[in-house]
Amino acid sequence: MSIVDQKFGDRYDTPKTPVAFDITNLDNFTYDMQHCCKCKGCYWVEHTYNPGMNFPVRCASNLWNDFDAYGAMGKVRIGLALQEGKLQWTDKLLEVLYACTLCGACDVGCKRNLDLEIELTLEALRVKAVKDGAAPLPAHKKIVDNIATKNNYFGATESRTKWVTSDIKVADKADVLYFVGCSTSYTNPGIAQAAAKIFNATGTPFMLLKDEKCCGNTVFSIGMFDEAKKIAEANIAAIKATGAKTVVTSCAECYRMFKVDYPKLLDIATADLGFEVLHLIEFADKALAEGKLKLTKPVDVRFTYHDACSVSRLCDAWVPYKGERGWMGMIFPGLRRRRGRQGLYAQSRNLLNAIPGADFIEMVRLRENAFCCGGGRGTKAAFPEFSKFAANHRMEEIKYVGAEAVVSACPWCNSSFSQVAKEDGANLKVMDIAEIIAASVEI
Amino acid sequence: MSINRLAYNAMKAVVGDRYISEDPAICQAYRSGPGGFEGGTGYERVMTTIPHAVVLPKNTEEVQKIVKICNRYDVPYVPYSTGFYGPRTHCHVENEIIIDLKRHNEFELDAKHFYFNVGSGVTLGALQQEAMNNGAYSVIGGGGAQCSAICNLIGDGWSPLSHRVGLPHRRILGTELVLPDGELVKMGSLAVSDDPFWGEGPGPDLRGLLRGFTGLRGCLGVVTKMAIKTLPFQPEPLVPTGVSPNTALELPVKRVKWINFLMPDKKAQVQSMFDIGHAEIAAAVTKVPKFWRAIAKAEDKEDFWRIWGVENDDSVRDFFIVRVLLVGFTSEEDMDYQERVLNDIMTEHGGVATRTKPTDESWIKNADSAGMWLMCGSYVSVDYIIESFSQATQHGEHYAELKRKYTPPLMPDFGDPGWFQNFEMGHQGYSEFLIYWDQREDVDGVDKFYVDTSKMNIKHRFYTSLLGPHQPLFLTGPKYGPNYHSWLLKIKEELDPKWVSHPPVPLAHDEFVSKAPWMKEMIDWESPEELPMRKW
Amino acid sequence: MSMKDALEKIVGKENLSDTAADLQLYARDFSLLPSGMADAVVWPGSAEEVGKVVEYCNENNVPVIPVSSRTHVHGSTIPKQGGVVIDLKRMNKILEIDKVNRLARFEAGVTWEQYTAALKEEGMRTIMPLLPRPDRSVLTDFLEREVPTSIVYDYGEPTQSMQVVWSDGSIFRTGSASVNGFPDSKSRGANPSGPGIDFYRFLQGAQGTMGIVTWMSAKIEHETKIDKIFFAPIDNLAFGQDFLHRILPRRIGQECLLLNNVDLAAIVADKEDDFDALCAKLPPWTLILSISGVLRRPEEKIAYEEKFLAEVLKNEFPSLQFSEKLAGFPGLGRKLMPMLRKPWPADVKYWKNRLRGACQDIFFIARPEKTPELVAIMESIAAKNGYPIADLGKYIQPIEHNRACQVEFSLFYNQEDEQEKEMVARLNREASVALMNAGAFFSRPYGDVAPIVYERATNYTMALKRVKKVFDPKNILNPGNLCF
Repeated sequence: MSIVDQKFGDRYDTPKTPVAFDITNLDNFTYDMQHCCKCKGCYWVEHTYNPGMNFPVRCASNLWNDFDAYGAMGKVRIGLALQEGKLQWTDKLLEVLYACTLCGACDVGCKRNLDLEIELTLEALRVKAVKDGAAPLPAHKKIVDNIATKNNYFGATESRTKWVTSDIKVADKADVLYFVGCSTSYTNPGIAQAAAKIFNATGTPFMLLKDEKCCGNTVFSIGMFDEAKKIAEANIAAIKATGAKTVVTSCAECYRMFKVDYPKLLDIATADLGFEVLHLIEFADKALAEGKLKLTKPVDVRFTYHDACSVSRLCDAWVPYKGERGWMGMIFPGLRRRRGRQGLYAQSRNLLNAIPGADFIEMVRLRENAFCCGGGRGTKAAFPEFSKFAANHRMEEIKYVGAEAVVSACPWCNSSFSQVAKEDGANLKVMDIAEIIAASVEI
Repeated sequence: MSINRLAYNAMKAVVGDRYISEDPAICQAYRSGPGGFEGGTGYERVMTTIPHAVVLPKNTEEVQKIVKICNRYDVPYVPYSTGFYGPRTHCHVENEIIIDLKRHNEFELDAKHFYFNVGSGVTLGALQQEAMNNGAYSVIGGGGAQCSAICNLIGDGWSPLSHRVGLPHRRILGTELVLPDGELVKMGSLAVSDDPFWGEGPGPDLRGLLRGFTGLRGCLGVVTKMAIKTLPFQPEPLVPTGVSPNTALELPVKRVKWINFLMPDKKAQVQSMFDIGHAEIAAAVTKVPKFWRAIAKAEDKEDFWRIWGVENDDSVRDFFIVRVLLVGFTSEEDMDYQERVLNDIMTEHGGVATRTKPTDESWIKNADSAGMWLMCGSYVSVDYIIESFSQATQHGEHYAELKRKYTPPLMPDFGDPGWFQNFEMGHQGYSEFLIYWDQREDVDGVDKFYVDTSKMNIKHRFYTSLLGPHQPLFLTGPKYGPNYHSWLLKIKEELDPKWVSHPPVPLAHDEFVSKAPWMKEMIDWESPEELPMRKW
Repeated sequence: MSMKDALEKIVGKENLSDTAADLQLYARDFSLLPSGMADAVVWPGSAEEVGKVVEYCNENNVPVIPVSSRTHVHGSTIPKQGGVVIDLKRMNKILEIDKVNRLARFEAGVTWEQYTAALKEEGMRTIMPLLPRPDRSVLTDFLEREVPTSIVYDYGEPTQSMQVVWSDGSIFRTGSASVNGFPDSKSRGANPSGPGIDFYRFLQGAQGTMGIVTWMSAKIEHETKIDKIFFAPIDNLAFGQDFLHRILPRRIGQECLLLNNVDLAAIVADKEDDFDALCAKLPPWTLILSISGVLRRPEEKIAYEEKFLAEVLKNEFPSLQFSEKLAGFPGLGRKLMPMLRKPWPADVKYWKNRLRGACQDIFFIARPEKTPELVAIMESIAAKNGYPIADLGKYIQPIEHNRACQVEFSLFYNQEDEQEKEMVARLNREASVALMNAGAFFSRPYGDVAPIVYERATNYTMALKRVKKVFDPKNILNPGNLCF
């Protein structure tokens, strides 16, 4: 008998109710929605790291629109109102819900002190929107159709492997499978080329999926659970069929999908996927430590590093949960919650600090406090104004710290920053971490 | 029913389309709870409503215009900065608007003269970091770093750092107050110039309208701008370290350090704290309740109850820790001097220094208030009072005794009598009693406990924070002053004859006890049949 | 029943007078304001008696003028619309000295001489303004926000809870003394704030127009164990302020003040005849700084403050002649240090009255960096009006780490000379306006200056009148003062 049972057994009069981390049913998160204390840990940079008046916010949605509704503390209250039948689905409500990149700042912020599942609640709200027929939004529907018909986010028809240049050695079979992703394949080929260079330089044979399809990030993110599950099953099967032991990706969103959301969709643990999932950062960091990756060419640039959401707050391994909630809100069995501690903060910095000649300055908001670029999860397509706002805001911070270049670990961030840098006329170089590493590798 | 169209359109013309809304989703997001400070209580269920519109003005001028429109068209409003204070900061009547002040985040710093001039949207956290960047420091009130600085300074505004920094009332300098009818009063040196550096006068001090001991919850208008005093700190940086949730400030230990002392008994604990005040040292001196340590170690509820479950009445009663913050304000030698004096005192009283981390997880840049909701899901500080240190050290026991009657639904805490600390160099003391419960249970007992504590304070002649809007005014009024309530109501009538500013505060709790059937048995004081206020 | 009869019934025949001789004592004071006669004066012995007197006057629309000190300098106790003077001098008990909680509670009639002596007997002291008149009411001076010479405590004002008689005659206790049954209560009256609203704020700086305070609880401190006093001659005020900005935020010092040669000479001259010679010899400004060792390890506190001062002087202010001695004035430290902890001696003419008999002060709060400019303005206007600059008294009191300061100019004049009086009155008004225009904040405006300030503070004035309407709807409490 646990100490809690022993001591407080006579108080166990609160009826136990089932609870699961199952986003197909919003009722699983009623407790979480009911217990938000409006501390705005979901909005502000974590207090210990509060930088003062400049850049103290990490919720892009609520910075874009000041009404409480746009922050997590507003959304959870809206969730309760929906459950109570007090709200109908309207354009405004959909905007509140979807002008948000699910960046995880609110989840990690809340979990600084509490044990509520905010990210899962927001995902569950989107699944409900789809189930109720209110979503997907027209812009999202277009992307879903693209994926369904052309297997990629853009609806592009040209070859997905166009980026493979003649000097890149792709193995027919290898332990490592490089999952490229739609954005890298079609709009940021330089990242894939750099990643390939890194594999080659470390003597790591890698293969590609013969017929790589979209990871389903947007489909999942907008709440189309069943469709996303089908994509997950198909992609997992395809990878297993290759015999790959490790999937490496240079796209933070794909990384998160494989590591976290596929297991979530299939109700299994990350450890039970059947293969290891790594971001290129992890792969390269390990190679650096083992002496396989040698960064010897100086790179003369003053740069800062943007911690992309899906390789920081959002990438803790997934463990499915089913249990009961009882007295004082305790759940049985207990679990160690995902709080963004497994973010690739150290690994990326090991690599960046090892680049000779590079002048690395940190952002004001870094690691789990990073401010989302606004570009991920299909948000940009439906809410381009919000997306641009977020990217511009982050760019202000880049300028504030005095960097000439921004390095990130996600092609969506890359595209976001590139677009606003170009429009702004700023002489700002935008690079992926693969590119800056590759630039330092002697071939 | 909805907001008068003319009023809505007039307000829209002031702030622009983007900053006003009556959309149901937008309004539902401003519901009070059920989570939060005082969340899930009967007061919240009975007294709070959903706003019918929300408006976000940018500056004092816009606030004034909004308030004047509200007066013209008879629209009740509640001023709101972060909504953290629970049901009392939310709408209480139908067709009410929320004036959300978060956009008013003007900020100026005068480092040489040790003050900031800020709008209502600026938080304590931002202020503290800016202060520390400029050789000064302020107080992060117990509510937490996310609180609006202005709101905290007119409501609460203290922490263990108040040992030296003192009452928040003294840190309020030139201030702008929009009266309930929309007239603007500028206080202190702002009354005659643009310089907010001085808070008093001219002549009688109208800062008396901003708060009593605790705040007026917005029933006497809207404070839109305030110059806030800071105090000189020391020059070494405090560096944030760690990854959430395990973050902390690394302290420059030659200039800033916490030391925990284990004391042999309460007498030694209390006397050592008295002596520290008399010796005029330290930057913070506080008792540490045992369950706070459990909260600090626990990552989730299950963790907490596992840790807390091994305790009992004896282990809780016999736990005496004094936690002291030393700051070498002048120099390292100053720090050394204070530490030697502190050790002298502790030696005299049998206090033993325990291993203390050279970091600060709470109190300098944050108050970690959100952690208070971890254990049970619901929480309130039912009393947080500044009086003499001698009252502070006795008050909690009375609370603990009364609380037994209401446990459950209150959390089993083995008779913990809350915490206390030094204030204003020991000239005063602060005591706080915190209660926790699970709002999914029958919480009528929480509501009753609230009113019962007022009666307990009256009976034992304690000063309390539960005055003004926090308790039935007709219960506390006759017993404090006496009849402070009649003056408060006269001021209210004079400044807000239409009762548009956050109705029905300050009579909200009176209305609650009359409306809630389970509270009828608590009413044993005289109250007028018709409360002297407008009925909305 | 006549008013006299009614009031006699309350306070007793022996505690009321309506004779011209007695009323004349209250008709004028050391200010330049014209005299005014009351109709009666009463000397109540308790708050209950005060309450009943006020209640009667309220019912009959008769002004009341509360008085607690024996000497008055600002004109606020001169009856301006007739009425009844309520002199609280009989209410002069020190009600408690609580050394554990470091507070003292005392009635309105308690003087500085009485208070400081009683505290000293207990090994305690109070922060205090510079050399207050021994027969002034401590309560009044705290209530009127007289600025202390001590710069060390972050909490500033010592005022805690109070007992007040409102205009309807009801007795009320503010702050934590408001608990029922006080002082027989757990609450000791240590918190000034509340209940409900901050009543104490309305009473501060009010010159008796909001309520009559009958007792006050205030903070007290331990006597220091060791004191050292330092001096520095200052020619350039801006340079002096730079030095203060450097050391005061580092929490150096117990008392700190700047006095010009005129003021300092008036204070330290053994005989009035010595004044001119002293004045000529003293530097333009003298910075006076005391450091103290308190209850425990006092010598170690002195040591670290001295070390810090030595380093700053050596590295940053090498030209400042900062020392325990003021060159040319042996024994000054030994003389001045104890003076800073006591009121002016009762058997010596008050220092401000030593020069020419009377004195008009102009005082306000300002930013320290502005003080050279403000001094220049004062000198210019003084000269324009024919007041000799060499006779101008100047005192700058740093406040709370030098984030602000009080500046006080003293205009000494012969009370028997009507022309001089007129000139000083004119100079007072003109200089006050010019100083206000340059950023001086008259936070406690008295006499002629008050209407000027309240005309400028339009919205504040309107709001103040609304609050006054609540607390004194008939305007019987000391009418004709401030903006009432």
